[in-house]
Amino acid sequence: MPKVAIVKRELSKIATALAKVLVILLGLLLAATLTSIATGNTLKLISITLFQSFTNLNVFVYISTLLPTAVGLSLAFSANAWNLGAEGQLVFGAIGATFIALFTPLGRQEIIAPIAALIFASFLGALWALPAALLKMFRGINEALTTLLMNFIAYYVANYLVKGPWRGRTVYGYPTTDMIPIESRIPTAPGYSFSWYVVVACIAIAVLLYLFLYRTRVGIALRALGSSIHFVELSGLSSKKLFLIAFLISGALAGFAGGVKILVYHKKLVEGPIVGGGYGFTSIMVSWLGGLNPLFVIPASYYTAALYILSFGLQIGSAAVGDALSSTIVGFLLALILLADFLTRYRIVIRFR
Amino acid sequence: MMRKPFIEVVEIYKKFGDVIALNGVSLEIYPGEILAVLGENGSGKSTLAKILYGLYFPDKGYIKVDDVVTVFSSPAEAKNRGIFLVSQRPQLVDDMSVLENVALFLNISPSRDLKKKLEVTLRDLGMAIDVDRGVYTLSYTEKQFIDLVKALITQPRLLIVDEAATYLPRELKIKFLDIIKKFAARGGSVMYITHKILEAIEMGDRFIVLRKGDVVGVFEKGVDVTTIRRAMFGSEEYLTTFKRSPKKITHESFALSVENLIVYDEHGKPSVNDVSLNVRSGELISIVGIAGNGQKELGEAIAGLRKAARGRIMLNGNEITHAPASERIKKGLIYVPEDPFREGVAMGLTVAENVKLFSQSKVSRELLDALIKKLDVNPSNPFINVAKLSGGNIQKVSLARLLLTTPKVVVAYSPTRMLDERSKTLTLSILQRLAESGSAVLLLSEDIEEVLHISTRLGVMVSGKIVRFFETPDLESCREDIEKVMVHA
Repeated sequence: MPKVAIVKRELSKIATALAKVLVILLGLLLAATLTSIATGNTLKLISITLFQSFTNLNVFVYISTLLPTAVGLSLAFSANAWNLGAEGQLVFGAIGATFIALFTPLGRQEIIAPIAALIFASFLGALWALPAALLKMFRGINEALTTLLMNFIAYYVANYLVKGPWRGRTVYGYPTTDMIPIESRIPTAPGYSFSWYVVVACIAIAVLLYLFLYRTRVGIALRALGSSIHFVELSGLSSKKLFLIAFLISGALAGFAGGVKILVYHKKLVEGPIVGGGYGFTSIMVSWLGGLNPLFVIPASYYTAALYILSFGLQIGSAAVGDALSSTIVGFLLALILLADFLTRYRIVIRFR
Repeated sequence: MMRKPFIEVVEIYKKFGDVIALNGVSLEIYPGEILAVLGENGSGKSTLAKILYGLYFPDKGYIKVDDVVTVFSSPAEAKNRGIFLVSQRPQLVDDMSVLENVALFLNISPSRDLKKKLEVTLRDLGMAIDVDRGVYTLSYTEKQFIDLVKALITQPRLLIVDEAATYLPRELKIKFLDIIKKFAARGGSVMYITHKILEAIEMGDRFIVLRKGDVVGVFEKGVDVTTIRRAMFGSEEYLTTFKRSPKKITHESFALSVENLIVYDEHGKPSVNDVSLNVRSGELISIVGIAGNGQKELGEAIAGLRKAARGRIMLNGNEITHAPASERIKKGLIYVPEDPFREGVAMGLTVAENVKLFSQSKVSRELLDALIKKLDVNPSNPFINVAKLSGGNIQKVSLARLLLTTPKVVVAYSPTRMLDERSKTLTLSILQRLAESGSAVLLLSEDIEEVLHISTRLGVMVSGKIVRFFETPDLESCREDIEKVMVHA
């Protein structure tokens, strides 16, 4: 009988990267083939849909939300701070940005308005993360649970605002606020609903946080927190302060993403689940796809964004494969990343006797 | 009649990333034989053990059991062939009882038969442990014995003992080693892994010395210490003899003082019971005692990793009794923890990143290289993950914290436990030099050998109390008295 063993291995960094890209490309090809067999569409048509999803500039719409949120989360997760509340923090960021744009005089001042709105959005995002962090630090209450539950509170706070005090005068009873003033919107790329300014800012944030996590003492200590609290304390750094920093930064970045959604995309506050849109949850996955390294989160958010587009493209495009199959394909392509990760770390040995 | 080996290891080769752990190692172990495997930290001893036990898969080479080529892809398969590993960290599940642990290990249900068998085995070995107790209530020593017993209960054919006795207190160690010898006398094979030469000579029938993954010496019974030492470390001179410099106490005030300290252990019993001691700058004070007498808890309380229930701890005249550990470190205390894996380093980071965290100021590449060279960290690449280093080398990285500043106070708990002779000597000389240059050093230890030659004062700790201080220029002459106090009282 042949013996099968799964054995650990270590490849060089370049070989690992190459192997992963190769697995993903092969997977895409396989996905296209399967879809074409299942639907009777030509392989060419499916491949074109696939290709277009990855080259469509609309990926930046999703990247603008996923990237900052996931980068923040990768920082929190590195420090063993299980912030699962990015969705709620994102919604609060959106509330903050709307508040500045609609209800303060700052909202009518060019350039100042979006900047002030984003700063306040980040502040509110961090503020929404704070209670969970404090409960953990001083009462030892599991932050994963508190942050998760805070998401739903945030949804309902947004719902209350758009159905109650903030409901617009010109929206015919729909649960939204009025449109924010032109001055406070961030100009979008012509014909698209994303902004190059935001894309550049998001990439800059990822790079800066990478440098912070890997080049500064505080950043390295944050990562060490994932290994051993005692070690960090014995190095003379307060583990509580570091935990708080990690939590607040991740909250602030989710808030920033929420602000961006308002200023670029919605241009008004809408109901909580629509603002959030599940991006706060998807970002958790994106940060792990990127191996909790802010630099690798950039391609991870691109890949995930392209899959969003692919799933729409497959449903409504010329291929029209239906909801179930498109979800299957997207799920398959995400699982492939895990497979690629597995294959670069382990090899399978089969011996015949 | 030709004797047939039970197990043969043929040209085993194992690489971790760029690090060669084993470079074509071959050996064989006969029934009834104890093969001692020696080597300094990071020489590949543990890797070899893990390959024989199916935890690692060799890159090249193979294993023959009873003359049949065998591949172990998991410990379960090794266990099926009668091969068991007892390692330096007991492999037990804390939340389960002793009986459940043994049953889990043997992959059977915790039946009444097993319980009886286990109780009989324990009684034969003279151990009084209730097998229904949760493992978390056992001491380190008891856990180590249970780890051995769970292997012995199945009548194994090869027992791999990987530094398992190294950390046991002396009398219990003798008992532990006795059990292993008896096992061999009854025809079992033993692979006895250690970095302690004397221990190896006491145990071994044959000796194999590893250095950086190569077999550099094979010796028969009757070999002397010097020959083995030369094989282990090469011919270079490394043994510095310690000379205690005349006491140079720079300050009259105390750099560290502990007043009437009481610390409770996990079960709410006082493990440090009304301890007071003072350390001046320039002094090196040792507290020795058999494991489990409170030295560990004393060290952790001073460092801030454990709560002080009563009493006061002062650092340079400032009270730090309730300050978090990080604040104490910032105020000039350095604590060298015993367990490098959990507290000494951050396993997820590189060597360079770990060292960076020890220092408040920037660590240049030159300084980093110098530290690695001085501590003889192997492999010397600072950009690999510490998790890839061997236990001893990880401890060396943890010790780098001593070389970055001249701390006001140093507290170390069994810092040399994981280290081979050369690194041990180096570590002790670092501590001594720190004292000479004005640090107040408190060394907590279970090993009288390591503290006898370097301490200016020596206290003996028994059941949470310091029962007696010895202070003479020639502590060596008090050795017998010290040992007596350690065991009795």
